[in-house]
Amino acid sequence: MGMRVTLEQSNAAAEDAVKRVDAKFGGAEVVSSVEHHANAHKMAFVRIVSPAQHLQALAKHLRFEVGVNYCSMVTGTHFPEGGADRGWEVVYHLMRQPVKDQAPHTNTIHVAEGLKGDDVPLEFEVVVTLPQTDDPVVPSVQSVWVGADWNEKETWDLVGIRFEGHENMHRVLNPHDSPEGFHPLQKQHKIRYHDFNEMYDDAQGFGRKPTDEGRVK
Amino acid sequence: MAQMWITMGPQHPMTHGLWTLRVKVDGETVVDTEAELGYIHRGVEKIAEARDFTQITPYCDRLCYVSAMTWSNSYIYAAEDLLEVEVPERAEYIRLIAAECQRLASHLMWLGAYGPDIGSLTLMTWCMRDREMFLDLLQELGGSRMHYNYPRIGGVKRDLPVGFADRLVAKIRLFEKRIDEYEMLLDESTIWLVRLQGVGYAKAEDMVNAGVSGPNIRAAGVNYDVRWAHPYSVYDQVDWEPAVEKPTSVKGADCYDRYRVRMEEMRQSCRMMLDAIEKIPGGKNTNYANGDAMILAKAPTRAPEGATGFSHYECTRGASQFYIQGGGDGRGKNPYRLSIRSPMFITIPYVAKTMIGYKVADIPAIMGSFDPCIGETDR
Repeated sequence: MGMRVTLEQSNAAAEDAVKRVDAKFGGAEVVSSVEHHANAHKMAFVRIVSPAQHLQALAKHLRFEVGVNYCSMVTGTHFPEGGADRGWEVVYHLMRQPVKDQAPHTNTIHVAEGLKGDDVPLEFEVVVTLPQTDDPVVPSVQSVWVGADWNEKETWDLVGIRFEGHENMHRVLNPHDSPEGFHPLQKQHKIRYHDFNEMYDDAQGFGRKPTDEGRVK
Repeated sequence: MAQMWITMGPQHPMTHGLWTLRVKVDGETVVDTEAELGYIHRGVEKIAEARDFTQITPYCDRLCYVSAMTWSNSYIYAAEDLLEVEVPERAEYIRLIAAECQRLASHLMWLGAYGPDIGSLTLMTWCMRDREMFLDLLQELGGSRMHYNYPRIGGVKRDLPVGFADRLVAKIRLFEKRIDEYEMLLDESTIWLVRLQGVGYAKAEDMVNAGVSGPNIRAAGVNYDVRWAHPYSVYDQVDWEPAVEKPTSVKGADCYDRYRVRMEEMRQSCRMMLDAIEKIPGGKNTNYANGDAMILAKAPTRAPEGATGFSHYECTRGASQFYIQGGGDGRGKNPYRLSIRSPMFITIPYVAKTMIGYKVADIPAIMGSFDPCIGETDR
């Protein structure tokens, strides 16, 4: 029979993690809370909202005290109409995984229902909001998780968030000779919506008028 | 001896796609590497911002042509988290069967492509033959061989066709014998063992820290698997256990361990599907009409600004993730931002660095053992 981490385990682990983050960062504008997904067995995860200046300390605390050993995704978002306080957002998705080096010819078979304490897999979402600016900067966590390295490269390449302290930053998905300052996921770059009319009659979109314009499809 | 840079790719049998590995060699030994990606960057994340939630599914199919079903499923779970949809249990079972079928097809594609890397061309023909069995099954569900557009937000497009269950069981029974044949072909071949054993060591903790996931972690001796650790779907109700290997050295798992773990994973997928098809609510031979409440729940089409959806999914190459922020298009019909986490995008730079110290001839063996797929890497 298959196994899975139960909701109680995940709730307890998330509450414990929130307590530990609060004990260290409570009062420093770092707000942590236990949230639940709407699907996937309504599992709990930890959401931490942090100002950029505490990010590196928070990352180190998570990595070395709470056992978060896996940086899976860094998402940058551009909010040109988000108000003065919210021009950019960087969301880090981090995981805690019970993975340890194994001695030769041995392995560890975790049984999900029996996991306790820091061995319970847990998901973290760290949200950093930046004010409206032309040069969004957050400190790099490349030195904390190796996995953050290429995630940060990608976020800079596509969204234009600058990661201060990131070594060897370069284009990864866009061509290496892309113009400086071109970051396609910023919202001033519009993507045109090809509607049915246009795609049906003129797949390349070279501006011909659809012959059946105005008719009911 | 003088050191020099040589360029492997973008057209090279080792790359399994379009990317470049720049290798600094000292004689035959690799002393430094650099990966260059982005050759087939399509901007799916940007395109998605101008599409509504249902229109994004086919784009997610095309993220990886080898495992389209797992990628569209992965997106669908994120969209369901965002739109707060309850999925009928029958639909979850169908998705599970479809995803595991896809896992078999994907692992067979990997094995088939890995064989010629090592020097066994026979393997390619055998694997393609067997992969076709499972592509046929997926074609029955989605209507096409590779890009299915099968899962829907709230369920699946259509129910299992009449007779699907019998064909599935017959093909799995046949395939279980075929896995034994593969193992006879490979595990008793000196060339296969010499090329794979003792090459490409990777330690569990290093890999986790670098963001490597999936079968590559399990090869290093820990049965960590998204399907039980961050559970989704009905994997807790069917009979299976995560495939896991015992690493052979203090230096971690080698290429041979990673090959073994994928073979075992194929067995587990077979076991899982055989059990799921018996336990499916509503019966395995019933065929509900399209849109029936047993297979498709009603789903809203708009998500307010500030709402977020996240999915963590065990794709065939590791953990894939989608993160969606709602509220685009002014009316909430589009995502404001859709972010895709591809396991291979993180893995390829890591693997490039693990090659340091090995011979140039080992590069295809090491790279292939991590199962690279460039479609999902470049997005």
